[in-house]
Formats: sequence, structure tokens, C-alpha cells
Amino acid sequence: MNPRFPLKATAESLMLLAALIALWWLASHNEWVSKVFLPTPEATLSSLKSGLLHGELAGFSIDTINRMLLGWLLASLIGILLGALVAISSSARAWIQPTLEFIRPLPASAIMPLSISIFGLNAAMVMFVVAFGAMWPVLLATIHGFVSVDPRLREVATALRLSRTAFIWKMGLPSAMPDILAGMRLSMTVSLIIAVVGEMIASQSGLGQAILLAARSFRASELFAGVVLLGIIGFAANGLLSLAEKKLLRWQAR
Amino acid sequence: MSILSFENVAIELGGRQILSPTSFTVNKGEFISIIGPSGCGKTTLLRAAAGFVTPSGGAVRRRGEVVAGPSREMAFVFQDYGRALLPWRTVEGNISLALEAASVPAGQRPERIRRVLETVNLAAHARKFPAQLSGGMQQRVQIARCLAQEPEILMMDEPFGALDAMTRESLQDGLLKLVRNSDLTVLFVTHDLEEAIYLGDRVIALRANPTPAQPSLAAMIDVSIPHPRDQLSTKEHPDFLRLRRELYQFLGHH
Amino acid sequence: MPEAILKWARALAFPLAVLAALEVYARTIAINSDALAPPTQAAQAFLQAVSDGSLLAATGFTLLGAGLGLLVATVLGIALGILLGLSRHAAQTSFLSVEIFRTIPSVALIPLAMLIFGFGMNMEVSVVAFATVWPILILTQTAVRQIEPALLEVARALDLSPGARLAKIIVPAILPRLFVALRLAVAIALVVAVTVEIVANPYGMGYAIMIAQQSMEPALMLAWLLWIALVGYIVNEAALRLQHFVARRMGAMP
Repeated sequence: MNPRFPLKATAESLMLLAALIALWWLASHNEWVSKVFLPTPEATLSSLKSGLLHGELAGFSIDTINRMLLGWLLASLIGILLGALVAISSSARAWIQPTLEFIRPLPASAIMPLSISIFGLNAAMVMFVVAFGAMWPVLLATIHGFVSVDPRLREVATALRLSRTAFIWKMGLPSAMPDILAGMRLSMTVSLIIAVVGEMIASQSGLGQAILLAARSFRASELFAGVVLLGIIGFAANGLLSLAEKKLLRWQAR
Repeated sequence: MSILSFENVAIELGGRQILSPTSFTVNKGEFISIIGPSGCGKTTLLRAAAGFVTPSGGAVRRRGEVVAGPSREMAFVFQDYGRALLPWRTVEGNISLALEAASVPAGQRPERIRRVLETVNLAAHARKFPAQLSGGMQQRVQIARCLAQEPEILMMDEPFGALDAMTRESLQDGLLKLVRNSDLTVLFVTHDLEEAIYLGDRVIALRANPTPAQPSLAAMIDVSIPHPRDQLSTKEHPDFLRLRRELYQFLGHH
Repeated sequence: MPEAILKWARALAFPLAVLAALEVYARTIAINSDALAPPTQAAQAFLQAVSDGSLLAATGFTLLGAGLGLLVATVLGIALGILLGLSRHAAQTSFLSVEIFRTIPSVALIPLAMLIFGFGMNMEVSVVAFATVWPILILTQTAVRQIEPALLEVARALDLSPGARLAKIIVPAILPRLFVALRLAVAIALVVAVTVEIVANPYGMGYAIMIAQQSMEPALMLAWLLWIALVGYIVNEAALRLQHFVARRMGAMP
């Protein structure tokens, strides 16, 4: 986002948003689209308010966020560890990399049936798939980051007689940090998506299940309220990570 | 007292002989400048001395022992300082790397870092990141890191080549002062003839495309100009002008 | 070309080893497992699915759903992207709205799509379209913004009509970047399509693998898992090759 956004542009941006909401208001009040599918903005807002203040939406949100965060942390840890291991051994890379490239396009949700067979329909099942799916961006980014360590730095490491562990810890990992952080940001997005999918399939408490139930009971305003919350969670998570990224990488040349 | 000896060192790369068998010795405390046109193998010779490259013939010996790989006694200063420093560490952190590699106890490090930073006049910038420093300052950080190793021999590969003339002169004088106050032995590769004579106790000129009739080692001349040297009067010294005339031909000018 | 064969052999060695281990494990320790099956049985189940037409039907549905959704998103995304890329004003005005809409996770819209369209092709196409329109829009917009300004001036100098400007200058200039966006979008389209089927839509490959799990047919489930991975890999590779081809033809760096 351009921090030097001129005031006029921001105002116009808000105006468009307001215009879209006005369009929504018109469409829902005039029933251009059936009320079953399109609730009014006020109904959505009131569902949101009552759900958060008196209902279970706050609890559901926290459940989903917890799932997303836990899965993401697990995935990042495993991804960085495995990635580092694969990256430092060029023979491991040669043998394993093609398989990694093959698995990369696989939709993580396709692992759900297998996970269900192993764990049953419960929270562990969801966590397994979240961790699996969210691991790939971090794993691949870590490998790429390690492999792209400046050859000159490797020579410096050789000249200083750095041990292998010291090289990984002091040079490989920090050098790969920009890639790893970008991978972790992508991983968070994946983690949220799979957490929601998991909740829908395994009837786990959370926003995913909430909006599915709302759809099944034709409660459109609750559905929309849930979608809005999910959008906010995704936006906030991404925004926070971006900030953390900038802070951690402030040594980068402008 | 001989500290480094080159015994018929020959280097082949990609099937071509870059360096024909070359022999000479370096005494403790000497400043050897190595000059030559592009492709004469001066950098490769330096890297062989540092242990990065194994000669295809002959050997480099340090204190009688064959140099089989890099060691902390021989510090190497690269030309591309930007790539040889860790961008995510401060100046202090970069110096510390050398101490960490040598397993210097953490308690001793701050003092040694401070001392070495004062030697290169960067004490005021200890907490800055490389990206915040000028080219000359970054190169001084690299030199400081090399000094922190407390090496016997300092190997420098065109260290001032990427800097502007004024910075270069300033660093040349800094280097001279540093070397005079220590017993460091220096091997200094450059394509700048005046720099080679200004800094060196001895100048070695290499030829490109060696043949049996015209081997790599074209000339080895002592620089009898007294110390201390300075940028103005030394360059007007009759010996300086004489050496410059003698060595000019070896840079590939005909 | 023995070298190519060697490369393939090495790429396949690791996965074949894993499959062999799985074969042994599934036939001994994990015999009668609901989760794991010997790969040989999976191959049998695969052939069975091919011969009874279910493989083709399911794969066709998923690919069609992903493809149609992608088509809709491409048309909309490119059109809007070009508009927003050419007009700085439009880009600034739409910035907030685009940012808000694109952070909504596509899976959150599955219940809504289900509500509106019921089950079937329309539901899947709509979710895929929503998920893929944003990356295409944003990347197209960026690509248009980065057109060499000189080219646009040439268009003005030649007094080209808007249509001609589009066809002769803008589209050819952004074509390589468009195909990069397309490659990304293709991956997303397939993943989203399969996810929609796993969560809700009773058609396609996602549904097939869920049914296999529910019917406790681990061999069929494994067959589908590997087939989904293979389809994903092939589609992604094809998109990548296409991207490179276009880049070369249009004289851009791949």
C-alpha cells in the first residue's frame, strides 16, 4: 500500500466503496436478488453485532484463528527444518527435489480423506491437513533461500573455517530469511483456507462450520456476517505478518 | 624470514594453463604487490595461496607446510565487499563473525571488536548496517573483520578497485599505516601500477598467456622507496618514476 | 539421450522407493487398514475406474469447472486490469475496494455459492472465478503500469484508435506477464475446484476421493490421490511451458 497516498485518492477510494455498499443496499432492498441470497447491509451488520456480542461468533472466530495459527506455526517449524536439511545437502536435493516439485501442485484438501481415515472426523484431522498444506510454501521458500546464498558468502565462511552448523545458523538461515518470511506469509493464507475447509467437513467449531450451517438454514445475514469476519481475519493476519516482515528485514537496502 | 613460499606453482583452468610454474618466497612483514593484465592469473595465484584453489602443479607452503585449504592465519579481503559482508548484521556483528568462528569467548569479543574498529577508524559506526555505509566504509569493515582474525598474512584481491579515486587514496594510506604498526605480511593484487608501487615493498609482475619462453613471472622488483610514504611526494620520487616506467610494459601496454 | 534418461531415473528413484516401502508396509503391518493400501491395489482400482468411465467423468468435470471459472476470471480480470492499469485515477479509486474483496478467502464463499446455485457446475465455476479473478486483475494491472512509457507515446504519436492501441501495443506488450498470471491462476483454479468438490459439490475428482474414503476403499482413495497429484502436475507444467513459449515468442525474458 502506498504510504504517501494523497488525501484526494483515499477519499475517492472510500467513495467507491460507499457506492458499492449503496448498490448492495439497493439490490437487497429492491430484491433484485432474492433475500435468501442477498441480505441487506443492515441485516448483515446486526447479525455481526449480535453474533459477536451476544452470540457465539466471537468464540467461533477465536476457534478458527487458533486453528489457523497453530497449524501455521507447526507448518513453519517443520517447513524450515526440513527445508534447511534438504537445502544443505546437494545430493538430497538432487534426489528429492523432483518429488517436491511433483507434490507442490497437489491441493492440500485432497489429503483430507486420508486424514479422516487416520484420525477420524476431529480436530487432529484438521490440524494434520492444515500443517501439511501450509508447510509447502515455507519448505520450498526455505530451500530456495538457502540455495541462493551468495557464493561469495560461502567463500567467506570457508575462509573463516565456519563449521557446517555455524554456516547454517549464521549465514544460511539469515540469508534465506527474506524468502522464508515471504513463504510464511503465503503459508498463513493457506492455513486459514484449510482450517475453514476442515471445519466445514469435520463439523469442528469455528467460522467455517458456522457459515456452512447458516447456508443450510437459509440464514443469509449470518452467512454474510461470517464471511465478513473471515475476510477481516485474513486481512489482519496478512497485514500483521507484513509488518513483522518489514521490521525483521529493516537491514535491507532501500 | 620466509613465511610463504611458492614452489613451481602452476594453475590450469578449463584446459588452459593460466599460470606457468612460478616460484618466489615472501618474507614475514613484507608487502608484496602483484600486478598484471587481465587473465594473467594474479587473482587465481592469490586464491591458491589462500587455499581456495589447489594448484595443478607445484605447491604453496606456509612456514614449510603445504597449504591444503583456507586457514584463519590467512585472511582474505574480497573486491566485492558488498557481497562479502553479512547485510543483516551491524558492523559490530560482522566483525564478531570472525571471532565467533575462532571460538573466541563472548566476554573477550567486545574489546577486540572495538580495538579493530578503531584501527580502521569506524568506531563511530559500530551499530550501523552495511547498507547504511559508503563503499569505502564497507571495505574497511571487511578489512576490520579480517584483522579480527589476527592473521599472519593478509591477502587482498583488488580491494580498492571498486572505489573512487579519493576513497582509494585514503584507504591506501590507512592500509600503509596499519601494516607499519603491525607485523602483518600482505599480498596485494591490483591492476593499478601506481598503487602497486606506492604500497609495496616488492612488486611482482605477471604475464598473461604464458609460454615456455615467456613464463608467467615477468618481473620481480624491490621497491626501494623509503617509508613513510605519502600520495604527493612519493609519486614524484625518482625511484617511483623509474619503477613505473620499467613495469609499465608488463601491464599489457605495447 | 542417456543423460535425459538418467535424470528421469534419478527423479523417479525416491518416489518409487517410497511406493515400494508403502507396498510392503500396507501388505504387512497395516494390512486391513482403512487409510493405507498397497500401491499395486491402487493401480488396480485406478484401472477399474478408467474402464468404468468414472475416472474420465470426474476428471472432466473438475477440469471443466476449473477451466470455465478461469475463463470467466480471465476475461473480467484482464479487462479490468487493463482499465486500472491505464488510468491512474481509476486505480487509486478502486484500490480499497479491490483490497477488501480480494482478501475474502474463496472457500468462505462455498456455502454462499451452494445457497445460490445449489450443487453442480455453476456453483463450482463461480467460486473458481472469484478466487482467480483477483490475481489476474492485479498482475494485469501491474503489467500495464510497467509498459515501457515510450511505447505508449509511440501509440499516441501514430494517433492510433483505442482499439488499435489495445490490440497492437498494449496486449502484445503485456502478453508475457499475462501468461505468468495465467500460470498462477491455473494452479489456483484447480486447487479451488477440487476443494469445492471435497467440501460440497458431489461431482468431480474431489468428490470421488471423498466417496472412496467414506466407502472405506483405501486403494481407490490412494489411486485418486495420486491421480489428482498427476493431473495437477501436468496442468501446471503445461501452463509453465506455455508461459515460457509466449515469453520467447514475444522477445521477453521468461
